[in-house]
Amino acid sequence: MSAAAVPTAASSGLLGCECCGLVSEFTKAADSPRCPRCGFALHARKPQSLQRTAAYLLAAAVLYLPANTLPIMATASTLTGRESHTILGGIIELWHTGSWDLALIVFVASIAVPILKIAALTLLAFTARRKSRWRQAERAKLYRVLETVGHWSMLDVFVVVLLVGMVRFGAFANVEPGPGLLAFGGVVVLTMLASASFDPRLIWPEAERQARHR
Amino acid sequence: MTETQQPPQDYPEVTVVRRKRMRLSLAWLVPIAALAVGAALIVRTVMQAGPTITIAFRTAEGIEATRTEVRFKEVVVGKVSRVALSPDREQVLVTVKLDKSAERLAVEDTRFWAVRPRVGLAGVSGLGTLFSGAYIGVDAGVSNTEETHFIGLEAPPPQLRGERGRSFELKARDLGSLDVGSPVYYRRTRVGRVVGYTLDPARDTLSVQVVVTAPNDRLVTSQSRFWNASGVDLSVDANGLTLDTQSLASVLLGGVAFTNPADAASAPPAADGQRFDLFANRKAALAPPDGPPLRVRMVFDQAQRGLVAGAPVDMLGIEIGSVRSVALIEAPKSDQFPVEVIADIHPARLGGVRRQFIVPADGADRADALFMKRAVDHGLRAQVRTGNLLTGQLYVALDFVPKAPAATLDARADPPTIPTVRGTLSDLQPQLADIVSRLSKVKFDEIGGDLQETLRHASAAGNDLQEALTSATAAIRQLTPEAQRALAEVQKTLTSTQTTLANLDRNVTHGDAPLQRNLTQVLAEMQRAAQALRVLSDYLQMHPESLLRGKPADADPGKPSEGGR
Repeated sequence: MSAAAVPTAASSGLLGCECCGLVSEFTKAADSPRCPRCGFALHARKPQSLQRTAAYLLAAAVLYLPANTLPIMATASTLTGRESHTILGGIIELWHTGSWDLALIVFVASIAVPILKIAALTLLAFTARRKSRWRQAERAKLYRVLETVGHWSMLDVFVVVLLVGMVRFGAFANVEPGPGLLAFGGVVVLTMLASASFDPRLIWPEAERQARHR
Repeated sequence: MTETQQPPQDYPEVTVVRRKRMRLSLAWLVPIAALAVGAALIVRTVMQAGPTITIAFRTAEGIEATRTEVRFKEVVVGKVSRVALSPDREQVLVTVKLDKSAERLAVEDTRFWAVRPRVGLAGVSGLGTLFSGAYIGVDAGVSNTEETHFIGLEAPPPQLRGERGRSFELKARDLGSLDVGSPVYYRRTRVGRVVGYTLDPARDTLSVQVVVTAPNDRLVTSQSRFWNASGVDLSVDANGLTLDTQSLASVLLGGVAFTNPADAASAPPAADGQRFDLFANRKAALAPPDGPPLRVRMVFDQAQRGLVAGAPVDMLGIEIGSVRSVALIEAPKSDQFPVEVIADIHPARLGGVRRQFIVPADGADRADALFMKRAVDHGLRAQVRTGNLLTGQLYVALDFVPKAPAATLDARADPPTIPTVRGTLSDLQPQLADIVSRLSKVKFDEIGGDLQETLRHASAAGNDLQEALTSATAAIRQLTPEAQRALAEVQKTLTSTQTTLANLDRNVTHGDAPLQRNLTQVLAEMQRAAQALRVLSDYLQMHPESLLRGKPADADPGKPSEGGR
């Protein structure tokens, strides 16, 4: 187990540009150092990482409620009349009609993944804030998994948008987007922003001590 | 492990831009915005939702949570969200979420009822109605007191609020194919509908409620006659085959029709809720009002096969009633079992005749019996007649029979007995029997023997005829050789004629015949002469002088121009 004295770029007075990769020296205290080559803002850690992550997570959690209670789409047809569908309602219907496999997929992609993402990021941000040394390697792995999975959480939105565009049979059948779709899209975007603004280097607080620069 | 190393000198120095940085991240605006958006979405949804009401029904047949709609004037104003049993399991509690626009429906005098699906031909306004299943109908209340718990009606209310028209009650013998929603016709035009029917088990009566909508409701007068126009009315009776229909829709759907008697055109419009009789068919409906029937009894001393309950009773050609029962009774002083026929008659249907027979002093209740008594005194008798030879239906005819044995009717008896005479069929039967017995007296055996004798004679005559034919054939055979001889002669003559013709042919027409040859020679000579003559004429044309000077010695007929000059 390595102790606190891990040599880091920050402790050596060096900053790497995240845009062009140039390593530059950082000697005098400055508020906003810039890359001498490309002009990109330099920082040893993502600025206000925990604050931003927390803010986005809170917003996502707020929107998660209407996303699941409001209908994400309404189908209108001559035979069945007008029906509104929520995500959870759709899953229950799929389950009752025997398509338990589909129900499982939709449940995982639309209910479980967003809520796990919010929970995991909250955990990461909380432990980073506490400068905890608890299971650091696993937390880093969890962050990598979140980044990968996050790309796939817009599936529902795509499906509904496709249906709205394609199912237009006038009086016979129509699909309209519902207000829940907006909230659901918001949840997905906000969780992506939250995971992007979280700096995984904060998982390692021993390095943080030397990186005095914000 | 190692000491912090000095960075090598060739690292470039960072550029510094002075910028004020806020202590609090701007990212906190995002959750505030999300909160605002989320709150707005939820508030909007809550604002759009109308009141939630509970309706208690006796059964939830056809009502389905999340599917069954609540319709007011055929507009969907809400949806059933939950169907549950009441705690005492007596009722079904249906929870309905009303739309915001239908908020005013949740008042205390609003009525709800379940409309169960029926395939209606009368109003196919959208195919959806066939598949939409049951729905909950609403009649909007006018009260201002809000209410969320309602008792659902079992049948639609007779008349909706705001619907102008009048409802009437029809007393029916049976429902036929009528149902809620069946049309009411006037002159085969749809003017109303059946809104319900109730069977009262206590009094064994069936009443059908109908609504006739404004402005057609004024067509219903106190004199109007209603009848059941359901289906096809096909009946076989003493009148033969009767087929009566109203319209194609009513054949399939059932319906009620009404009309006004011709003499009641100026009758006042009927009051709302007035009761009418629903007659079985148009004929019954249009029959003049009968008044209470008079029950009469008739006793016939022959078997009356074909006379059944319901058979018409006819007086001078007018149907005035029907047979109620036919039964055998025991006669006091004989072995016979006469037939007792009980019938209900309406002498009022006779019109003027009845009035002439009635004296005002009779009193209304005994008038019909006294009328019958006077008619019997004038010779009225009951007689069973054949109404339809094909079906063998019988009917009772009341007719004035001349020279009828004297009889009288006891008007005080209940029921009074009308004296009878033998029916036409009864008269016919002994005559037929007489004919049959006469037929049986005919000696068919003897007739048969005679016939055989006659046939035998005929056979003998036939033999003679054959003989004659044989001799005739022989005569013809004798004649034949002479005829052959004559024919041979004719043939000979023909042969000689042929020879003569052949000779003629050889001498005249054959190519080598002398006549032919000579003729050919003559023709050749004549051809040559003609040729010579042509040469001569040619020569003369060219040398006309040769006529005077004669032919020159060296002249060549081929070259006349060179040699001539």
